[in-house]
Amino acid sequence: MDFFRLLLAGVREQRMLFGLMAGFALFPAYTAYADLPFWNDVAMRIMLLGMAAMGLNLILGYGGMVSFGHAAFVGIGAYCAGISQFYGLYNGWAHLALSLGVCGILGLVIGFLALRTSGIYFIMITLAFAQMLFFLFVSLEQYGGDDGMSIDRAEFVLFDLYDPLRLYYLIWSTLLIISVVLLFLVRSRFGVVLQATKNNESRVEALGLSPLGFKVTGYVISAMICGVAGTLFASWQEYVSPDIMHWSRSGELMIIIILGGLATLAGPLLGAVVFLLLEEFLPELLYLIAPDYAENWMIIFGPIMIFVVLFARGGLIGWISRFGAQRIYRQGDGR
Amino acid sequence: MDIPFWGAKNLSTGRRPVTSPVLNLANINKSYAALQAARDISLSVERGQIHALIGPNGAGKTTLINQIYGSETPDSGSVFLNGENITGLSVPKRVRKGIGRSFQISNVLTDFAVIENAIIAEQARRDEAFRFFRPAFSDQDLIAGAMIVLERVGLQARADDLVSDLAHGECRLLELALALSGTPSLLLLDEPMAGAGPEETMYMTRVIESMRENVGILLIEHDMDAVFRLADVITVLVEGQIIASGEPDEIRANRNVLAAYLGDEG
Amino acid sequence: MTLTLLLEQIFNGLQSGVMLFLIAAGLTLILGVMNFVFLAHGAQVMIGAYAAASLTGITGNFYFGALAAIPITFLSGYVLEYLLIRHLYQRDHMDQVLATFGLILFFNEMIRIGFGPAALFSNLPPSLSGFVYILPDTPYPVYRLVVIGAGLVCAVGIHYLVNRTKVGAMVRAGANNEAMAAALGVNIGLLRRFIFAAGACFAGIAGVMLGPLTAVEPGMGEPLLILSLVVIIIGGLGSVRGAFIAAVIVGVVDTLGRVVLPLILRSFMEQSAADGAGPALASMMVYLLMTIVLVVKPTGLFPAKG
Repeated sequence: MDFFRLLLAGVREQRMLFGLMAGFALFPAYTAYADLPFWNDVAMRIMLLGMAAMGLNLILGYGGMVSFGHAAFVGIGAYCAGISQFYGLYNGWAHLALSLGVCGILGLVIGFLALRTSGIYFIMITLAFAQMLFFLFVSLEQYGGDDGMSIDRAEFVLFDLYDPLRLYYLIWSTLLIISVVLLFLVRSRFGVVLQATKNNESRVEALGLSPLGFKVTGYVISAMICGVAGTLFASWQEYVSPDIMHWSRSGELMIIIILGGLATLAGPLLGAVVFLLLEEFLPELLYLIAPDYAENWMIIFGPIMIFVVLFARGGLIGWISRFGAQRIYRQGDGR
Repeated sequence: MDIPFWGAKNLSTGRRPVTSPVLNLANINKSYAALQAARDISLSVERGQIHALIGPNGAGKTTLINQIYGSETPDSGSVFLNGENITGLSVPKRVRKGIGRSFQISNVLTDFAVIENAIIAEQARRDEAFRFFRPAFSDQDLIAGAMIVLERVGLQARADDLVSDLAHGECRLLELALALSGTPSLLLLDEPMAGAGPEETMYMTRVIESMRENVGILLIEHDMDAVFRLADVITVLVEGQIIASGEPDEIRANRNVLAAYLGDEG
Repeated sequence: MTLTLLLEQIFNGLQSGVMLFLIAAGLTLILGVMNFVFLAHGAQVMIGAYAAASLTGITGNFYFGALAAIPITFLSGYVLEYLLIRHLYQRDHMDQVLATFGLILFFNEMIRIGFGPAALFSNLPPSLSGFVYILPDTPYPVYRLVVIGAGLVCAVGIHYLVNRTKVGAMVRAGANNEAMAAALGVNIGLLRRFIFAAGACFAGIAGVMLGPLTAVEPGMGEPLLILSLVVIIIGGLGSVRGAFIAAVIVGVVDTLGRVVLPLILRSFMEQSAADGAGPALASMMVYLLMTIVLVVKPTGLFPAKG
């Protein structure tokens, strides 16, 4: 009962996040009504990217660790599904369990080694690990190498994923579970210490707590969330390739977070919404202005990113929350 | 009172002093390239005692405190806390064994509220930081403990304010409260009065006076009035070396000290 | 594997190492001394390559195109610093990563619009397209030797600039320390802009020289950027000497690995699989090397002093 009381209080505080989740829950009804099934697909991608970004945000936003290689965990999660299928294991629950285990162990090893460094070195060593994994999968010819491998949607006992709505709600409920986990996590005793290490590591030490333990734990949890996102991503895309772990994908996850709002729960999801809407609509917008250049929408997107970094500190959530007092999780300036 | 000097010899023969000191430094040496920051330093701090460490800038006072605290390690020599050799331990381990420290430049969680600083300190004291479920900042039990921490320095009225909104003196008090929060047996205070006005200094002096009962305090301070009012023992450090150690009256009368240190200050 | 092949690959590795050094030299100062995470440095390589290729195409003279491209890259670095970068020095690393990532997207798309998505290939003039015999039976392309030579000349120049000139002393003393720079009477804004422009210029030179060796295409800079980041981390942030040594190591390891690893893999794999996996594993080795260096020595092999 305690759980539900706390959950209710948390939901009330995080109206934005759970409002978005309610929106996603109802969205298929709208697309069915308006006959826009394509948009279900977009919404699923938004939720998957949002999920991975939420995982990264735990360490990037709350823990202040600028990991530039988190797409690797998304990729590992996807390959957990792909390689399992290659050997005839189609059970989605097994894929998820495998993904949690592999990403957890990998996150522990990488986190422990990478967190010996800090600052630019940390950014670069996380990038290096991600590149290693990227090239490892490029080199694994039996799993498709560079070209990747086509796979089937996983078999979940309760969800037949070839029913598109079932896949949709599987992703939705996983995202909901992760949201609730993070809701509790960032406010827990562990969570506040993690945020304290971002603010002032030497004070955390002076209180008798070892920052490394908290940071590594945060890193592992974050890697596992990204792994789950990747496993579901594989089922959604029915295809796995190293491209999913390319370093620019890690950059995208960071963009999504900063677009929505660093160190907020709703930020990554909101950022994913905006990111994918830009990806969908910028080409169309460009088509109206300069039809020849519709494919070159990045020429606008790049400057938008720079603009967001320069002028929209705190992201969209920061803009929105200037209306109401949303000071439950303090937002450091990430410095 | 005798100047307590429990050097390495005492310990190596296994003889325990009658009143076991909280802190014991045995022949600490530390140097950086050409600079010798500590030369064969031995000193001890008793429970209930305020031991002031004074000396000109660059004498190696903060370096010495850092070596007791664990953020730096001595080239040779040992640090004993309550009779236990802690020389090789990390900072958090030493803190858990009973060292509290305040820093020269305020070192608090600036993005958090005052009470939140105290709550994190309180959960560290209880060794309950690795819990993942219940919200920390609304836990009544933790809040109660945190308020006690703040009451010790009289900051309870500012509990809900952000640290960044505190005045400098209040920040120093919070720093002190956090140093005290782990119920340490040894307090290392590095210039607690730095930058404080006269009234704040008076208040701070009273606060430090009030908490001496159960702890040993090693105090670095440049405000000589405060030092002579508070200290039971004063050790004078010049260029990494102890040139005098004794009760305030002895130090006041010591010619070496006058020449080497107090003289400079006018 | 024959000695001839080995020698040839060592020369190729040296050539790629020298190129990496030209890219890394400016970047190591930007990252190490100015503490600025700059990801768009690869775009400077691309700008250099495109400037040279298109100017060569217009004038029909390779030498003119190559030489005229160099001031263009200097100018592009200068302008970029003035317009955007100087507003980001006070920001945290993540803001810098994202803003310069945005720059990458922008530049790549600019090039795609201006020159089309297909790769440009530029032909070498006859004077550079021959072979010389480095061993009696080992022919080696003249152009690659010229690249190695020009790269080494640049390296000596950079070394002289950083260690022997007043500007270099200012860079080493105070590019990231405003108080110190002010005390020395240095205009720190101008100094930083100069580092950026010079760094862009050297990266541009690398692009100019790489043009005839690789495909000149949008996005060509990024793999080079990532590799030169590896070089910088291995060599130690802010250390030009470290960057040189690390660049040669990375260049040789990468190049040799691409040739040697497939040969080793062939001994227990099918040839096609081995040839496919080898280059990827060679790329992996570079990152493995960097990780080992960081784990053993978290500040790189030759950390800059101070």
